[in-house]
Amino acid sequence: MPAVKIKRASSSVDMTAMCDVAFLLLTFFILTANFRSQDAAAIETPSSISGIKVPDSDIMTIGLGRDGKVYFGIDNAQNRIAMLDNIAAAKGLTFSNNEKKEFSLMSNFGLPINQLKSYLNMPKEQQAKVKQPGIPTDTTGAGPTNELKEWVYNARKANNNLRIALKGDNLAKFPEFKNVLATLQAQNINKFNLITGTEAPPAGWKPD
Amino acid sequence: MAEINTGGGGGKHDGGKVRSKKASTRVDMTPMVDLGFLLITFFILATTLSKPSSMTLNVPDKTKTEETEPIKASNVMTIFLGKDNKAHYIFGKAANEDPEVKTVGYGYEFRQALMENAKKVGGEKFVVVIKPTKESTYKNMVDVLDEMAITKLKRYALVDVLTPDEKKLLKEKVKLDA
Repeated sequence: MPAVKIKRASSSVDMTAMCDVAFLLLTFFILTANFRSQDAAAIETPSSISGIKVPDSDIMTIGLGRDGKVYFGIDNAQNRIAMLDNIAAAKGLTFSNNEKKEFSLMSNFGLPINQLKSYLNMPKEQQAKVKQPGIPTDTTGAGPTNELKEWVYNARKANNNLRIALKGDNLAKFPEFKNVLATLQAQNINKFNLITGTEAPPAGWKPD
Repeated sequence: MAEINTGGGGGKHDGGKVRSKKASTRVDMTPMVDLGFLLITFFILATTLSKPSSMTLNVPDKTKTEETEPIKASNVMTIFLGKDNKAHYIFGKAANEDPEVKTVGYGYEFRQALMENAKKVGGEKFVVVIKPTKESTYKNMVDVLDEMAITKLKRYALVDVLTPDEKKLLKEKVKLDA
């Protein structure tokens, strides 16, 4: 009696199903995600149980880095140009079309106004290397050296519907936050959002 | 799925026509899967999935001063946000009445202290005054505001000015140079 030959299964696996899954996931990720924008500085926000989402559009973000540097950004490229025009008129500066275009691509920045022009003229690789010194603020919120107030004012002039979000780093000291607060309060802005991470509320907690 | 068994085509049959050998319709999907997962990895790394949440903060208008009835010190818990992630609080007494200063960490301890004192005073009358010192961080402030949301205490105020009495008190009792 001849030995019974075991039929060997083919070692090639049908990848079609796996391929389907991969592309399904890919489609999902493309549709749901929004791209991470290039920020002037990494800010690690504290977390809170608050469930209010940050709005998508019409938003002004004031960042507060861990070293106390203040960053500023608004969401719409058109509005950014309008804001730059406003501030240029107020400060007696002129920006070329190229510089404006460059500026409209920056989601946020932390530069004093007098350094802005030279920064905008730098090539991209060099821009990334620049340590941005932050926007000058002061304790009163309305002093002559406070440039944050100019940005906030001119951003609101460019788009009146802007909501204001503050994004502070975990390790930012309170006095620096107070400077930002004072700047906003000096312009009668008394309501704003603090951007935080999401954290689960304690067990049994229900919102009102 | 995408595989169609075509059988052994092209075999020689006796006297039959010579058929051209059919190529298998089965395609090797492995490179396509590779590509798919590569793209997935890229999208996961390059995007933010969850939008950050935000808490609203309302601060009083500085240009208007409203006259309100002074609040009794016995209903007030004053929280000083100190250094090294510690909070100090006094309850029931004003800073110049030599109150007891208690120190708590943020989180559970803090919440307990809030709840206890709120119970002592009872519901509506309890007022929390949050005073961050210059040693405290932004995270501390957000944590405390978050605690207020968790404990559902509605009457709280964020005050950033410390009175000389309070400064003296913190310096003597907890060695905090506010």
